[in-house]
Amino acid sequence: MDKSAIATIRNNPGRVLTITVMTIIAGIQMFPLIWLIDFSLCNSNELFTNGILVWPKKIQWVNYVLAFTNGNFLHYLKNSLLINTLAVVLVLVISIMAAFACSRMEWKLKHAASILMVMGMMIPVHATLLPNYVIYDKLGITDTIWALLIPYVAFSLPQGFFLTTSFMSSIPKELEEAALIDGCGIYRILTIIIFPLMKSSIVTVSIMTYLNNWNEFMLAITYLSSKKWKTLPFAILEFTGQYSSNYAVQFAVMALSAAPALIIYIILNKHITKGVALGAVKG
Amino acid sequence: MHKLYSNKKVIFSLMAPGLFVFAAAILAPILLSVYYGFTDYSGIGKSSFIGLDNYKTLFQDSVFWTALRNSLFLAIGFICIQHPLAMLTAIKLDKLQGKAEGLFRCIFFIPNVISVAVIAYLWKFIYNPNFGLVAKVLKNLGFTGQLNLLGSGNAIWSVLAVLIWHGFGWGMLIYYTGVKNIDPVMYEAASIDGANGRDIFFHITLPLMKPVIQVNVTMAVIAALKQMETVYLLTAGGPGNETQFMASYLYKQAFQSYKYGYGNSISVMFIVICLISTVALNRIFAERGE
Repeated sequence: MDKSAIATIRNNPGRVLTITVMTIIAGIQMFPLIWLIDFSLCNSNELFTNGILVWPKKIQWVNYVLAFTNGNFLHYLKNSLLINTLAVVLVLVISIMAAFACSRMEWKLKHAASILMVMGMMIPVHATLLPNYVIYDKLGITDTIWALLIPYVAFSLPQGFFLTTSFMSSIPKELEEAALIDGCGIYRILTIIIFPLMKSSIVTVSIMTYLNNWNEFMLAITYLSSKKWKTLPFAILEFTGQYSSNYAVQFAVMALSAAPALIIYIILNKHITKGVALGAVKG
Repeated sequence: MHKLYSNKKVIFSLMAPGLFVFAAAILAPILLSVYYGFTDYSGIGKSSFIGLDNYKTLFQDSVFWTALRNSLFLAIGFICIQHPLAMLTAIKLDKLQGKAEGLFRCIFFIPNVISVAVIAYLWKFIYNPNFGLVAKVLKNLGFTGQLNLLGSGNAIWSVLAVLIWHGFGWGMLIYYTGVKNIDPVMYEAASIDGANGRDIFFHITLPLMKPVIQVNVTMAVIAALKQMETVYLLTAGGPGNETQFMASYLYKQAFQSYKYGYGNSISVMFIVICLISTVALNRIFAERGE
């Protein structure tokens, strides 16, 4: 596009209108969060003033200090990171293995097996909440990392499998054939040839799995009783009880818990939006 | 070479972890749910087999129907309010080009990366009749009465508003991907033929967006059926059982009313309804697509 074309687009009144409307929508999407941050820096009493947003008389960093120290924030963050990373790695490894078997290898039941694996996508995770409680109780794994890791992996696997299968079918078979002639086994082909070629689908599956599980708390509330493995949402759930009248500190806890995902999103936003678009349209 | 690709041992070793996870974490609990659904187990102590009694109770349980109606309400709300807005935004955004396009796309998606726990508590504050954002805005507009947005009659609308706000970016992003996939040559050809903006939208954009619309509608219905976490923290299904959904209701029955057996029968119905809806939607779209 040459410069004059750009100039005509820039001077187009329609463009000004579009930008105005987009700004209003962006405002609606962002305003609750701005409101949250604003009051997290205030004194609780300032919440009851008339202004929609207030300029705090003195910025109350102490809210964040309290949230950080009394909210077990780092402990919960560490658990969230560990559990979600493990879930992502397991989902990736298991789905790539199964996708290879179903899309490349020759066996009679492969179509039935793929359908079975994808079926999980239709099952609502909360429908397994009650029976899994009994199973985990019998196995003695309630209140352990397994009680979260097993369902997180299981319910992200169908989508992971579906996405890796569809990506794998776009990899040309010739590459593997060359490796086979050189005497490579299936496992080596998977690790040396297929795995590096799956980069974009690995990113997509990781993002979808993270988004699915990072915010999850119903399973966590049900299966965990002690602090040991509780995840980030508990920082908020516990704090609202503990500081029920100190609203400003609650706002600080919320802002703080939202921060890690938000920061990662801002850094990786292109990959994330691309990953979600790919994942959702294919899935 | 062919032999290597049909080696049973290798196939088994590759499939075993996936199938094991499926069987242990999805299939086994479902079967157990079916079993408990036939009992009057309370969560502790002994239980007895009561046949189809739970299901008979369930079909006469008005809360169960409320839950289904709420899911339908959300689905219609998503499809009639959220999606047209998201689609128009996506189409306009696509025409914006340049830095602004990327910036707005980034901002619209932000609520999606914020944890549901934060969203639910935040909106509880926003709806607070004393110091909430909505109350303040209304006050500044001159409205003086008390408005309890989480009260009877209003609560389900308030839940819908939160979910529309929260999921807007996701829907927008998928429509946006759909718009991006339309070949610009189509638009050029149409404008040469003298088509105006409306013609282009109804005769080019909309028909070519059909696949993404189908994906989004299916996801909206499923999300409406599966709704639990936002409602659990925002209204806890209340007031009364007005904003109850299947998932929150089965949870309540099992862990608050100690009707574990009954809760499981709701779980079973929940799965059946999700399966039927997904299959039905795919059928409808497959027929239309031909």
